[in-house]
Amino acid sequence: MNLADVKKILLVDDDIDLLEQNKMLLEAKGFLVVSAESAEEGFNVFQKEKPDAAIIDLIMEQMDSGFILAYKIKKTAHGKQMPVFILTSATYETGYKFSVSTSEEREWIKCDGILNKPVVVEELLSKLESYEVVPKSN
Amino acid sequence: MSDQVKKASILIVDDEKGLRIGTQRLLEDEGYEVETADCGEVGIRLGTSKDFDVAVIDLKMPDIDGLEVLKEIKTTFPNTICFIATAYASYDTAIQSTRLGAYSYIPKPFTPEEFIYQIEQGLKQRQLILEALRLKQEREEKLLELASEKSRLNTIIKAISDGVIVINRNEELVYFNYAALRFLNIRDVKIGEKVVEKLPKEISEIIDKIISKEKILLKTYTTQIEILPNNELIIEAACTPVPNPDGSLAGVVIILSNVTQFKKIELIKSQFVSMVAHELKTPLAAVQGFINIILDDSLGVDKEKEKEYLTRSTVRLRSLTDLVNDLLDISRMELKTKHREIENVNIIETIKSTLQFLEFELKKKEIVVDTNIQENLPIIKADVSEITRLFTNLISNAIKYNKESGSIYIIAHQENSYVSIKIRDTGIGMKPEEKDRLFNEFYRAKNEKTRGISGTGLGLSIVKKIVESYYGKIEVESVFGYGTTFTIHLPINQN
Repeated sequence: MNLADVKKILLVDDDIDLLEQNKMLLEAKGFLVVSAESAEEGFNVFQKEKPDAAIIDLIMEQMDSGFILAYKIKKTAHGKQMPVFILTSATYETGYKFSVSTSEEREWIKCDGILNKPVVVEELLSKLESYEVVPKSN
Repeated sequence: MSDQVKKASILIVDDEKGLRIGTQRLLEDEGYEVETADCGEVGIRLGTSKDFDVAVIDLKMPDIDGLEVLKEIKTTFPNTICFIATAYASYDTAIQSTRLGAYSYIPKPFTPEEFIYQIEQGLKQRQLILEALRLKQEREEKLLELASEKSRLNTIIKAISDGVIVINRNEELVYFNYAALRFLNIRDVKIGEKVVEKLPKEISEIIDKIISKEKILLKTYTTQIEILPNNELIIEAACTPVPNPDGSLAGVVIILSNVTQFKKIELIKSQFVSMVAHELKTPLAAVQGFINIILDDSLGVDKEKEKEYLTRSTVRLRSLTDLVNDLLDISRMELKTKHREIENVNIIETIKSTLQFLEFELKKKEIVVDTNIQENLPIIKADVSEITRLFTNLISNAIKYNKESGSIYIIAHQENSYVSIKIRDTGIGMKPEEKDRLFNEFYRAKNEKTRGISGTGLGLSIVKKIVESYYGKIEVESVFGYGTTFTIHLPINQN
């Protein structure tokens, strides 16, 4: 097994508990995880690490920090070739009405999927798999 | 004979004294009111000064001709019934006097019966004329009343701030006021025009529904329409069928009211609820995540890690409890503005008891509190639980965001009609952009130095609500890395 085969995932979350939990879950599945606690730090880590996928918390410093970071990542050449997921507990039931199911939403929400907190690891894996981001053991 | 006729007034104009006196007595015996004139001149003066029911005018008088008297009386009082009495009846004078408005001739000499009969006929005619006149006047007054009623109604409808549109069953415009045009953002409509196409789809659909119904249902259908985008103008339209007296449909009346402000408040409320829900879910997600990890055997978490995760879960649950308490405080405060318990509050005592309450936190971080409070600081009138809450939130922030072994300075003194209290800490301070959002609900400064400090994001918004509810002021100064000072000004003698 070559180290280059190990998929690298960027995790951005300002909640250190959730960040640590998700890092642990992904590492247990065989991913390499790089993390950041703010959108700004997240973009820096992204540029330095060139990950294979990014999972970004929506509400950080601002209500839409996650969207903005996803947009910035998707504007780079590397970002265009990797999946970006938005992670949030602000779901439809809590009154935030968005998804990425229509082309219009895809147009302005530059991400490839929405994940709910707390993360269900199987759901996350199948999302990553659909973009051919699979852990080393596979 | 009715009372009215008996009281009828009669003028006798005759130069012949015997006839004058004889007819006067005759008529007075019948119950009439009689005045007499012995010549044409007096006849004109009396006959034009009062609206007699009947005048009997002698044709031939020495001074003025009877026809002249007739003319003058008729010009002034056209409804006085005039008889021409003469012994020289001729065809010519008959025509002439009729033309001048005489009712009839009384040929002389006449018997009392003949005379009374003629007078009675004349009075009947007078009654008919007066009745017709009265009816005419009444009708005119009614028309006038209707016209003024209509214009009054018009004025009222034009003046009300709600929009009013009335259409008939052919969907033609019958009535509108200008508020309606403003609310619908349309100009240029005409009475009688098929206006339905110009109305928003939501309204025209309701109108179609009402008009197409076989049986008219006296029910109001309402709908809300966004007239201008971005919630700039939202109106509510209430459409009610108008029935004819026979129960068939006459038309539809549409009342339009501006509900933009209500909608905006609704939006703010629902945004707040969304934020609350999000803030409640986040710690739950964190706790759930820790439990999932501990329960997942495949992750093989050791005892030490497990204990750490459980401890961190407890911290998150405690902050969740704090959040629920803060939310309850906010809702209690909103109720309390209605019935507060206002009493004399001693600021010094309140600050002292707050410091006692926070003693454990102070000791844990080894923070020194230095107070400088003016002697005889005026008492303020307030709800003591709210003032306690205010100091608890500010001082506990000064502890939380302070450095280890830092200081807190509390300075209180009277400043004109205010009590001013400064609470300064030697903590991490704020960046200018953080300061601007400080009082927003759920806002918490997030930077490298705030990591690990827990809070609900509601403390300062509660402080601000309390201060403002007493017509006070709150100011904040801060230098990032050096500390923050909150200054509160509370009015003295404020109820």
